[in-house]
Amino acid sequence: MHIEKHPVLGRQLHKPVTIYFNDQPYQAYTQQSVAAALMANGIKKLGVTRKLVQSRGLFCSRGRCCSCYMTIEGEDHVRSCMTEVEDGMRIYPNMDDPEVRRDIDED
Amino acid sequence: MKTDVLIIGGGPAGLSTAIETASRGLDVTIVDEASKLGGQLNQQTQALRPLPSLYESMRGFELANKLIEQIKDYNVRQLLNHRVVGFYADGSAGITDEENVFPVNAKKIIVASGAAEKAVAFPKWTLPGIMTIGAAQTLINRDFVMPGREAVIVGSSDFAMETAIQLMDVGIRVKAIIEKQSGALAKEQEKVRELSRSGIPFYFNSFIKEARGNGQVEQIDVALPDDVITLNVDLVCMDGGRAPILDVLYQLGCSFGFQEELGGWIPQYNNRFQTDREDVFIAGNAAGISTHGPLLLTGMIAGISASEELQAISALEAHEIREALWKELELLEDKEMHSGRVKHLEKFANPVLKDQFIY
Repeated sequence: MHIEKHPVLGRQLHKPVTIYFNDQPYQAYTQQSVAAALMANGIKKLGVTRKLVQSRGLFCSRGRCCSCYMTIEGEDHVRSCMTEVEDGMRIYPNMDDPEVRRDIDED
Repeated sequence: MKTDVLIIGGGPAGLSTAIETASRGLDVTIVDEASKLGGQLNQQTQALRPLPSLYESMRGFELANKLIEQIKDYNVRQLLNHRVVGFYADGSAGITDEENVFPVNAKKIIVASGAAEKAVAFPKWTLPGIMTIGAAQTLINRDFVMPGREAVIVGSSDFAMETAIQLMDVGIRVKAIIEKQSGALAKEQEKVRELSRSGIPFYFNSFIKEARGNGQVEQIDVALPDDVITLNVDLVCMDGGRAPILDVLYQLGCSFGFQEELGGWIPQYNNRFQTDREDVFIAGNAAGISTHGPLLLTGMIAGISASEELQAISALEAHEIREALWKELELLEDKEMHSGRVKHLEKFANPVLKDQFIY
């Protein structure tokens, strides 16, 4: 849930945008981080761990713990707590290992 | 890119050091990985005190705005959404905008990288919905998002008590405060009383035995001294204390010393907040965990010292200002913390070992 009226800071959410998580539209506001905006829409599970396949979510919200990696606008392993939402942004959970970019042809 | 002073970190310490250097005509560059300067001040709605005599008492985000406003008058380049990822052989900092990396050559580097919150581990502590108290505070005060409806707080420091009150103010039900010690750790006992009065149970000598939930936290077992209770919660905020962020200082090859009162291993520095790499200064929580007033003062001392070396201020004037700032630091800082800091300075003057770290 978004906090429409903050007891100290008042109304701050002015510019709504639409973001897409797993191709479903959700409402967010500019200046919110991707992880926070998803949480406002009840989405806390942002991916799973590589080895034990356990649920991951936002933990530190500071870009330190890397628990909130997601695929944002086609890029794997982006820290969703450090990325601000943009209108039309496409977001997917990180459910397995990322596609590693390779410069060397393995053939 | 070339600059006189490169400041790594744009929080309170980084900004106060920027004011000291840039106001003396130096070309200053601040790099910060966030999209806004101010660091953790931005989501702090609590009143900060005591602050240095230069500042009236105000709330965290107000202080952030004031500091940001002050540097606008000067020559300060802001590299926001940028990170230092390493150093080139010639000493230039490698800075990335998350796509490309470019070198920044600085005459002096001031590291104000701050502190990171530590976790409190228990079975299933990684479930979504379990987060640091700082993360919960950021969600409500910066992102304007409810992180949950029913919460427990693990820990009872001043920061934890303050955050518990802020969570309640936005309508989150705080079901319990769980503390492994036998009493509340907060120095401001008034906040503890305020929370007790509003009917929140404090469970002392207690800890979370286990968390459960399908994809996110739904339930926790709390081990009390003579019982185990189960609480239904969708938010667990943990306060494991803070540790200095030192990655950049390891890369710079600074020598380190262990100082319990300041948060453990931290770089060694002298009374100018200069490390044993003479072009590298340090400020804020990276120089030892402290409170807001002292963070600003350490930033000011580092800034004055760097300015002196770049001949933007005379040695005599720098000496006088530094003396005054150290006196104020002693006044504002927790006694135990300050004596730890003084001990730490002595280690720099009389090193037992040159490199305390075994690589």
